[in-house]
Amino acid sequence: MKIKSKGFFTRRTSEALIFILPALILIIIFYILPVVLSIYISFTPLKNWNLDRYLGEIVGFRNYEKFFYMLQHDPIIRNVFLTTIVFITITLAINVLGGLGLALATYFVSEKLSAPFRTLWLLPRMAPIAVYSLVWYYFFHGSEIGTLNSFLMHLGIIKEPISWGHDIIPWGPWSIIIFVNGLVGVSFGMIVFTSAISNIPKELVIAARVDGASNWQISRRIFIPLMKWHILYVTTWQLLSLLTTYAHIFLLVQWGLVSRQYGTTWSLYIYQVAFTGRTDQGLAAAAGVILVIVGGILGYITLRMLGFEKMITRPRGDI
Amino acid sequence: MSLKDVEVRSRKTEVLIALAVILATLPIIIGFSLIILSSFSKSMVTNFDPKSFHPTLENWINLFQGKSAAVGGLREDILKYTLNTAIVALGVSLLVTLVGTMSGYAISRMNFRYRKQFLLLILLLHAFPGSVLIVGVYFIYRLIAPLALGSITAFSFFYVIIARAALEIPMATWLMKGFFDLIPWEVEWAALIDGASRFTVWRKVMLPLVKPGIAAILLFGFLAGWQDLIYVRTFLAEKTLATFIEYNLGAPEYAEMPLVAAAATLYLLPTIVFFVTSQQLLLKVSLAGLKR
Amino acid sequence: MVSIRLDRVTKRFGRVVAVDNVSLEIADKEFMALLGPSGSGKTTILYLIAGIYKPTSGRIFFGDRDVTELPPKERNVGLVFQNWALYPHMKVYDNIAFPLRLKKMQEDYIKKKVVEVARMLHIDHLLDRYPYQLSGGQQQRVAIARALVKEPLVLLLDEPLSNLDALLRIYVRAELKKLQKRLGITTVYVTHDQAEALAMADRIAVINEGKVLQVGDPEAVYNRPSCKFVGGFLGNPPMNFIEAGLEYSDGGAYIVVGENRIRVPRHYGKIIGKLRLEKVIVGFRPEDTILKRKEDVTSAETCLYGEVYAVEPMGREYIVTVSIDGKLIKSIVSRDQVFIGGEKIVVCPVEEKIVLFDVKTEKALELLV
Repeated sequence: MKIKSKGFFTRRTSEALIFILPALILIIIFYILPVVLSIYISFTPLKNWNLDRYLGEIVGFRNYEKFFYMLQHDPIIRNVFLTTIVFITITLAINVLGGLGLALATYFVSEKLSAPFRTLWLLPRMAPIAVYSLVWYYFFHGSEIGTLNSFLMHLGIIKEPISWGHDIIPWGPWSIIIFVNGLVGVSFGMIVFTSAISNIPKELVIAARVDGASNWQISRRIFIPLMKWHILYVTTWQLLSLLTTYAHIFLLVQWGLVSRQYGTTWSLYIYQVAFTGRTDQGLAAAAGVILVIVGGILGYITLRMLGFEKMITRPRGDI
Repeated sequence: MSLKDVEVRSRKTEVLIALAVILATLPIIIGFSLIILSSFSKSMVTNFDPKSFHPTLENWINLFQGKSAAVGGLREDILKYTLNTAIVALGVSLLVTLVGTMSGYAISRMNFRYRKQFLLLILLLHAFPGSVLIVGVYFIYRLIAPLALGSITAFSFFYVIIARAALEIPMATWLMKGFFDLIPWEVEWAALIDGASRFTVWRKVMLPLVKPGIAAILLFGFLAGWQDLIYVRTFLAEKTLATFIEYNLGAPEYAEMPLVAAAATLYLLPTIVFFVTSQQLLLKVSLAGLKR
Repeated sequence: MVSIRLDRVTKRFGRVVAVDNVSLEIADKEFMALLGPSGSGKTTILYLIAGIYKPTSGRIFFGDRDVTELPPKERNVGLVFQNWALYPHMKVYDNIAFPLRLKKMQEDYIKKKVVEVARMLHIDHLLDRYPYQLSGGQQQRVAIARALVKEPLVLLLDEPLSNLDALLRIYVRAELKKLQKRLGITTVYVTHDQAEALAMADRIAVINEGKVLQVGDPEAVYNRPSCKFVGGFLGNPPMNFIEAGLEYSDGGAYIVVGENRIRVPRHYGKIIGKLRLEKVIVGFRPEDTILKRKEDVTSAETCLYGEVYAVEPMGREYIVTVSIDGKLIKSIVSRDQVFIGGEKIVVCPVEEKIVLFDVKTEKALELLV
């Protein structure tokens, strides 16, 4: 006679529920509900957060049509879209390769020396966003107080200060936002890859050394093949991060360091439209919903590729 | 981990690699150092002009006396902003730790229905664009705020803390799960056989055994709250160091930038302190949190 | 103090059947050993009794009470894990006191009980230490103390001696058995060490691949194994098995091994007559053999002719390996007998101790009639 658990609220499930409830509540209120509300807003002509006036009005797909129209005809929106694509692809490459490079490099150099450097590379991610933005604001400043400008002028490479974020279109602003975000993302890969490398048996490296392998050969033929899953993990995770990040670029645009068109990504655009300037929440929500769909699809593909099933081990015991 | 004793390596390549790493790290070092340096000067020293460096402590003195930096000579109490930042940071830290240890435990140790789906949800949350979320989060805020009894300010703090903490739940859960996974099953079973309820096992046996994990989450939660810009600027009725800096750079001609640099350095301090004291913990924690 | 009954209990993990339709009864106050190789399912059975696992099908009873659905908390069992599973962050005193504190008892009562059980296990001087400060043997006793302090109905032990060194093991064996008799608590003891099971248990359940092969007191399990596996698992060195042919003539039935022809043992006469098998496995224990030289053999004995293959001096006795028709069997002889490799020798198993097994099912023949 087979034993079945009765109903949903078995003792086990209700016990687990108590532990899960706080997280579940927070997730529902601050993840799921907002998305639902954003979807709703995207069907209203909400502006300036004037809830009383616009909230009840449903205008169907008007915001979506507006967005797609702007995508085709408005150069600013087109450039935002272009910026997003360039930004994600190049920064992703920097993040993954940079993380990999740092992990490998610090492996081959003595531990005492590498530790402080690994720490320094955590600074971009752990520093307060406002401070981080301030650093690069001055570094890339278009006048002679800009660090990069004065450096190049001192070396005689340029005669006058260049407004990197505005004059060199589009690669000036693109380079800046890629650089700034690239540094932040490198640390994630660096940590993952360093940990992966440390799990590789030392004997493999010793044997290769005895065979006369160089650092590059060891990296290419031993480390990287054994880290395939980790590389995939970092790449896909960072892809999602880059699709959704906006805080680290926000101030750069807000402070005028980079041109609005070429310094704004899709994610930032949504925030800008919703909360700054002309504030058209309906439009922002429409653009946002599309981004959610893209993100959701990518996210799901990511999990399947990473072998989500294998990552989850079943708990033992039937208590 | 390196094999200095066992390996034969070429000095030359080692030096070259080290040089490359230093070169790559240079912008970070220079960028941050200049800002910190500027806080000790009468004017910003972000260009390599030794003439602009006029050493002084007056920025710091002004900072701690609550003198202003921005437009119109308004008195800005920077210490108050620091306190606000700390309140948010502390609130986020405690909430994230509490929720993370609870959900992390359940996922690690309890086989409940929809456990897999819950985990899948948590991982997928990473794909939710923050900027879309905040539109909805603000919407909710606008709906609830009028119902807030008492001060709007207090409510805005409360709201910022729980909203910001919610963003860290996936990471915290995953991290704590990693730590709980490391505890032998028998210790927990022994407690259950001894007659403990799940909650008692969690409180009296499991939590003491994951102290490093708890320390890590407290730290990460604190830093997440401390460094936040978007949520505090969107919701908080008062300023924090982040919004203070943002505001001043809105009109840089009128702002006393070295004072802002001092505020920025002060703002940076916890991050640096955290680095200096817990380098090992950081790496150990990141490794423990990462599965596979 | 209670009796335990497993009624057709099966436990599946995914597709793997760890426990296969096991029915077992353990009497009140009995010391039952679950004996089997690693992976046989014996620990799973222990955990099923404890309530850590729930059966896929079947029921478990403590006395008349059906405990199948009850969590461990409500079964009142004490379990000593193989690696002791002490709470590392608590002192020994607090480890032992934990179960009583959960019952919300008064601190002075708790103190009394903890000291009492600690004294009984000779660890009362260690109460203020942490587990990592103790030796393996001491940690194990703390684990036992923690299990006993709440006066459970059943004591379960999962290979408690396997992490102790050999000498300590033998000492603790006797101590545990004495303790169990004194307390009169129903005990289930999991082990893969057959000597341990034989020495300590009132009854042994031999388990392999999730099934209970035989349950009986040590003498029965040792001398009258129900199948080849049980015969081979108990005893060190294990039982000898020779595959042999059977010949039937007017004089009776004969076992044929190569050139050897010996009479079928008397106690199998009728059974062989009934079954009329063609082949059989002959089982006999090394200690139940006499080694002789050809000249010394009498006609009354059933003997096999072979050649000395190897001699292992074991201090107290010698183990002589003999090759009979290409098959190797072992014999234990006293240390005043000297044999040389290659020497022609005769092995005479004691007739009453011979066990015959069916070639196909590996069951003892007496079970087939």
